[in-house]
Amino acid sequence: MNADYEKQLEAGISRELKRLPELAAPDSLVTRVMSALDRRSRFPWYRRSWLTWPPALRWACFTVLLALFAGFCAAGSAMAHSRTILFAIRRMEEPLSGLATIGNTLEALAGSGVLVLKKFGAVFLISCSVALALGCSLCLGAGAIYLRLAFAKHEKAL
Amino acid sequence: MTNVQQFEAFMRRYQNMVFSTAMRLLANQTEAEDVTQEVFLKAYQYFDRICASPTAAGWLKTVATNLSLNHLTRYRSRWSFFSELPLSGRDESRELEFPADEKNVEEEMDKAERCALVERALQALPAPQRVPLVLFHFDELSYDEIAEKLGVSLGKVKTDIFRGREALRRKLRLKLGSEAP
Repeated sequence: MNADYEKQLEAGISRELKRLPELAAPDSLVTRVMSALDRRSRFPWYRRSWLTWPPALRWACFTVLLALFAGFCAAGSAMAHSRTILFAIRRMEEPLSGLATIGNTLEALAGSGVLVLKKFGAVFLISCSVALALGCSLCLGAGAIYLRLAFAKHEKAL
Repeated sequence: MTNVQQFEAFMRRYQNMVFSTAMRLLANQTEAEDVTQEVFLKAYQYFDRICASPTAAGWLKTVATNLSLNHLTRYRSRWSFFSELPLSGRDESRELEFPADEKNVEEEMDKAERCALVERALQALPAPQRVPLVLFHFDELSYDEIAEKLGVSLGKVKTDIFRGREALRRKLRLKLGSEAP
């Protein structure tokens, strides 16, 4: 499509759209908004948006949250250096040692995979990757075509 | 004049602009009304600051645009691989009815009818074409800004806008300079 045509099209559509007046909002809109505001104003302060709380309460809330955050930080730091916690961590390590066996098995499996790849070479690896990518693309493409066909709309010839 | 009365007057002044913004992006009366209500409820929270501000209209328009786009992405299909599909439950592919004769429609209609026709044609466009088109022509955003706002590629924005314009041209039977008889 040439650039000249696109410019003419843009100008033509812009001219049409710029001529449009604003749409009239329904008459009931003001009533709807005012009654929603009225409903909200009847809520107790704690059910309203934080921004509309009385300033004193907002500051109090902010201070409490800040204190809580500082408390959690201090508690976390203290716990990290506590003997009891360190002892508990060591106790937990024992039952988790079984996981090391699983790790070793996985490592052996990965090693055997690497050996197989070395035997067949890089060409085999690349071919597998390409086949996998092609398979995925094929599924995606076929899915898109089926969906487009299923929802295809009839365009009237103008 | 109380704060509530002031707000009511403020709303009456801007409600058409906010509603138009939402309606053109959403192409659905009920959803546009909901978004407009949400915009004004938000405006009420900041009313002390925006009531006398010269940028109030711009603020309202931006909030209306953002809320409409949020609404589209939250409640409707995202722009995606299947963006050309009509959305289920909505007859977005409906065609407009035109007089049977081949004369240029523009000559036969008075301004109000023409505007109504353009408005209907715009709202009949599928969302992936209508939304960038509205952002470009009404909000005067650049292609880059639209791509960023919608989270899609620049190429897709350009293609969708071109398709939208082409669809409008066909529906409105616009004659461009190079096509003049």
